[in-house]
Amino acid sequence: MSLIERIEKVGDAKVWYDDIPIENEYTVGIAGERFLRTLKDRGVITGTLCPNCDLTYVPPSMYCERCFTQLDQWVEVPPTGVVETFTVLTRSLEGEPLDELQVLAVIRLEGAHGGLVHRLGEISPEEVEIGMAVEAVLKPASERQGSILDIEHFRPV
Amino acid sequence: MSVNIKDFPGTPLSQDDLSAGKVLTTYWRPKLEYGWDAGVAISRYLEELKNGRIIGVRCSQCRRVVVPPRVVCEWCWEPIDEWVYLEDTGTVNTFSVCYIRWDASRAKEPQIPAVIEIDGASKAGFLHLLDEVDPDDVKIGMRVQAVWKPAAERVGSITDIRYFKPI
Repeated sequence: MSLIERIEKVGDAKVWYDDIPIENEYTVGIAGERFLRTLKDRGVITGTLCPNCDLTYVPPSMYCERCFTQLDQWVEVPPTGVVETFTVLTRSLEGEPLDELQVLAVIRLEGAHGGLVHRLGEISPEEVEIGMAVEAVLKPASERQGSILDIEHFRPV
Repeated sequence: MSVNIKDFPGTPLSQDDLSAGKVLTTYWRPKLEYGWDAGVAISRYLEELKNGRIIGVRCSQCRRVVVPPRVVCEWCWEPIDEWVYLEDTGTVNTFSVCYIRWDASRAKEPQIPAVIEIDGASKAGFLHLLDEVDPDDVKIGMRVQAVWKPAAERVGSITDIRYFKPI
C-alpha cells in the first residue's frame, strides 16, 4: 500500500493500546482518622463542635471555617439526617453502563453543619426527594474497615 | 523526603506505616486506558519491526531518507510514498546515562537512552536504549547495532528491538 492511499478497512490502521499506571494512596488526615476509627470501633458518627459559632461539623474539621478556631471538642451525632441534594448515576466511574441505577446524595445529619456524600439504598430513584429523612445503615462490626463505606448506605426513615 | 531538612512540621509517615495500616488511607488506581491511532506510516513501521526490519521513507523532492517513516516531508511538505528498508546499524547521535527510572525511583544500574542515526537515513534518528556497554564508554558517534527479540516474541512495537549494542 502506498502512503497516500486511503485506508479503507479499519483493520489496516494499527492502534496502539496501553494504559497509564497511576495510583494514589490518600491519608485521611487527623480528623478523618478519628472520625473513621470511631465509626469502625463504636459504630457512631462524630463531628467537631465550634463553641464560638455553635456549629457541629460533620464530616469533622480540625478548624472552624468561619472563625478559624482550632476544634477539639468531639461530639456524637445521631445517624439520622435529611437529603440535601442527590443525583442518579447511570454509569460507573469508568463510563460503563450500570446494571442498577445508583443514587448518590449529600446527607446533612441532624444537628450538624455540612454533609456526607453517600449512597441511598432501599429506595427507587423516582422516590428520592430533597428534604427526605434518612438514616445510616451500618455494616456489621466485623466487616467494618475504617472507611466511609462502613456505612452501607442511607435509607428512608 | 529531602535529606537537607531534618524536621518537617506534621506527622512523618513511611511506606511501612502505610503498609502496616497504621493510618487509614483511601487507595485509587484510575483506569486510564487509551487507544492511539498509529497512522499509515507508523503502522507500517511497527509491522516491519515485527518482521525484524527497520523501514523508512525517501522524500522524492529533497531526497532525504527518514526513519521513523512519515507521510509528509516536514522540510518541503511533499507527500512521501517511497518506502526503503534500512540496516539495523547506526551511530549514536546523543545519549543520556539515567539513574532515575520513569516512575522517579532510583536505579543502581543506569539505563542509557540514546538517539540512534540509522545507516542509510539522513541525520536525526529515533530514540532507543543502549546496552552491553559500560556507561563510561558510551561516546557520541559510536557505532551500534540493534539487538532484536526472537521472532516469536515480536509484537509490532519499538521494543521488538531490545536495545542497541556497540559494534
